[in-house]
Amino acid sequence: MLERLKRRWTYLAIAAMLLFLVLIPFDWFLGQYTVLMIFIGIHTMVTVGLCLLMGYTGQVSLGQAAFYGLGAYFSAILSKTYHVNPWLAMLMAAIATGAFAYVIGYPFFRLRGNYLAMATLGLGLIVGILFSQLDRFTGGSMGIREIPPLSIGSFVFNTTLKRYFLVWVFCLVTLLLAQNIVRSRTGRALRAIRGSEAAAESVGINAAQFKVKIFVLGAVFASLAGSLYVHNFFYVNPGPFGFLFSVMVVVMAVIGGLASIWGAIFGTAVVHILSDELLIEFGEWDTIVYGLILVVVMIFVPQGLFVGLRETYEHWRLRHVERRAEP
Amino acid sequence: MSQPILETKVLGKVFGGLTALDKVNLAVEAGKIISVIGPNGAGKTTLFNLIAGVYAPSSGEIYFQGKPLGNAPPHRRAALGVARTFQGVLLFDNMTTMENVMSGQHPRSRYGFLEAALRLPKAHREEETISLKAMRYLNLVGLGMHAQQNALSLPLGQQKILAIARALATEPKLLLLDEPGAGLNALEKQGLGELIRRIRDMGISVILVEHDMDLVMGIAEWVIVLDSGQKIAEGTASQIQKDRRVIAAYLGEEEKVE
Repeated sequence: MLERLKRRWTYLAIAAMLLFLVLIPFDWFLGQYTVLMIFIGIHTMVTVGLCLLMGYTGQVSLGQAAFYGLGAYFSAILSKTYHVNPWLAMLMAAIATGAFAYVIGYPFFRLRGNYLAMATLGLGLIVGILFSQLDRFTGGSMGIREIPPLSIGSFVFNTTLKRYFLVWVFCLVTLLLAQNIVRSRTGRALRAIRGSEAAAESVGINAAQFKVKIFVLGAVFASLAGSLYVHNFFYVNPGPFGFLFSVMVVVMAVIGGLASIWGAIFGTAVVHILSDELLIEFGEWDTIVYGLILVVVMIFVPQGLFVGLRETYEHWRLRHVERRAEP
Repeated sequence: MSQPILETKVLGKVFGGLTALDKVNLAVEAGKIISVIGPNGAGKTTLFNLIAGVYAPSSGEIYFQGKPLGNAPPHRRAALGVARTFQGVLLFDNMTTMENVMSGQHPRSRYGFLEAALRLPKAHREEETISLKAMRYLNLVGLGMHAQQNALSLPLGQQKILAIARALATEPKLLLLDEPGAGLNALEKQGLGELIRRIRDMGISVILVEHDMDLVMGIAEWVIVLDSGQKIAEGTASQIQKDRRVIAAYLGEEEKVE
């Protein structure tokens, strides 16, 4: 009974969120934030990959920007320089990035904790440097311009409104897939590895293999996000795919709540809205205020805002129910 | 004796310069409760870790159901039918009691990323079997009513029982219990002894490392004594209690008075 009620509330919340997302890009609602929302959608796809890796499996990565960038550059080079169909380019980019993550994953996940963090940090830095130094392919710091848009038949994603919906369909499908994985045998295996690797192995879970697989999945999500980025803005340069973005992904994941899939949207949105919109009021003090907010969140809601809010709500509801039960 | 479920031949393990286990030959009869005892530092846990595949042996070989285990990693041994518990319990603290046991079903189910992500019927079917079996194991050990609780919210005694349920859920042929009685009160120990017997009756061979002699002597059908990495005696509980070398290992050699 309570279970069914809870499920009904969940469906209602999801329906409300979807409606909100559908209405956002219209001018009479929040149209001026459409581009911001496109960024949030794209970056959520990167964040959710890290949530799976860090929040569920307990493995750090400070190099997610590398996969985001690889997706972007593969897509840009294939579709612009080699005139490959953008969808096909996107698919090829995802496969190539996934394969790359797979190959480096095995040696990487022989490392643990701080050493793993260092290795992924190095990966992010090296790949970032390649973007600006391999200028024969990447156009160096000038980047690549006039990347063709995505299209389905004669329907071209040539307006911000159309691209907004494209990005959010991708984003929500990604979240749904991630959510399904988390609530499965695979998800349990991942959480088991985070709980205790020795115990996970003792119940037949091949920890090394699962770590690599989830790393690859996160890389593929990030690669798709990168592809969407270039077909949204038709331009790519090394800037957005550097070390700073890798750190930002960690911040977004942590703020939303590492061990929560829907927290990924939440964290990404909060970070973007804070740094792109609200903190502009503070002028040159914005970085300091931003840092302060992060510190306060980490001290008071270490499990992340989304998880924190959900727990507060459940706590409140429990008390409410108890009070009503009293005669 | 029929084919032993587990055999070790001149099994040895050296850590740096320290010989933790030295030329140990064991043959463990299937369907029995075997206890490995010995003073601290005798090599009991090292033996467990070698059987479970946490360490590779420095010398010798372990045979499970007649086949050498070689360097198979722990997860493969679990799939073959070697399950274990840990001295430090090591429950998954980010899961409920039920989910802990469901994790134990990992090697007995197959569906992976793709089936999970797309929620294919195979995933659904297997997931149903997994939760059904997990509930059965929880009920077997008497933790059914705590299924939805976080694993670490249980008192220590029940946590240790839960760890056994998780190991059982891998559907092992051989179960290694590392000090299951430590930290349990007398009543809980009695329940533990009964549970271990029931596990044996399910056709699962049990090897336990235990310090509590009452528990060991009450349930063990065969006792193996290690001291300083060597097997110094084995036999039934009553034989072991009278063995001079065993008494010497535990209490020290009697000095001759001239």
